[in-house]
Amino acid sequence: MNKSMYLSIGVITMILGVMLAVQFRTNRFIEQSVPADRAQELQVEYSKLEKDIRKFDREIEDLTYKLEQAKKGQMQAREAIQDELKKARINAGLVTVSGPGIEVVMDNPPSQSRRNSIFIIRDVDLLRVVNELWGAGAEAVSINGQRMISTSEIRQAGSFININLERIEPPFQILAIGSPEKLKSALEISGGLADYFKDLGIVVKIQSHSSLTVPAYSKSLQFNYAKAVWKG
Amino acid sequence: MWMGVWLAVIGLALGIALGLNLPFTIPQAYAKYMSVAALAALDSVFGGIRAAMEDHYDNKIFITGFFSNALLAAGLAFIGERLGIDLYLAAVVAFGVRLFQNLAIIRRHLLKK
Repeated sequence: MNKSMYLSIGVITMILGVMLAVQFRTNRFIEQSVPADRAQELQVEYSKLEKDIRKFDREIEDLTYKLEQAKKGQMQAREAIQDELKKARINAGLVTVSGPGIEVVMDNPPSQSRRNSIFIIRDVDLLRVVNELWGAGAEAVSINGQRMISTSEIRQAGSFININLERIEPPFQILAIGSPEKLKSALEISGGLADYFKDLGIVVKIQSHSSLTVPAYSKSLQFNYAKAVWKG
Repeated sequence: MWMGVWLAVIGLALGIALGLNLPFTIPQAYAKYMSVAALAALDSVFGGIRAAMEDHYDNKIFITGFFSNALLAAGLAFIGERLGIDLYLAAVVAFGVRLFQNLAIIRRHLLKK
């Protein structure tokens, strides 16, 4: 009885001593380190920030995707615009073009004196030829390397002819791109221009080509007065 | 009788030496429960000393009192924490009052001799 009493007293006091010492050390440790509340607070904040990071990562992905889409759209738009620009430049005559067409060579009567103004080629003759070619569906026309554009003039200047403000001299080589048969028949129709010129003694040679090149308009276009009016 | 007191002092010293050299500490969250449990255990030991001086010491009551008081105090603190009431204060007050009572009685027994 006594023995067990002493034993239990010893063991119990030892346990108490361990408890007190551990508690003492733990308290000292707590004082040195971050308080539990603060640690918890930081933990909460940390997990919140992690969630934010995930959210922003998703946002980055989303925005990157949208940006890519926009870039793709922009690329397509740019291609379309450049396509349109190319077409416009072709229409305006600012690009060298090639294709099937006819070549018309006109020269003054060989034995005639140049001063005899009735029998030499005048601006009006060239205008009529060009007009006829346009009417027959020509898509590009040039005379002696001068491309005919919307503002091109064919004008008599003394004994010379000016086209695009450049003096040109006979023989006149007219290149026209379009359906060769149509263009040719438009000129060679009986009672047409070819007959008329032959009657005057002008040498006219008309040749179809499967491929010929019409040069670009070499000067710059300037619109100082005309302003575009957009409708709609 | 005096042998028991010496044994208690030696046990306490041994326990403190052991506790100070143990490689672990209690996590912060449980430190509060441990403190209340230590207080209850201290009260139990003083209660045991008082019982021994009044000559009605019972080994079983001493041992079960020691462990049940410690566990009850820690459990009370734990439940209080969960309920949002500082129930460990109740344990601190109850065991603190008893501690002083026991000490007073032990003092009287020692002086009467």
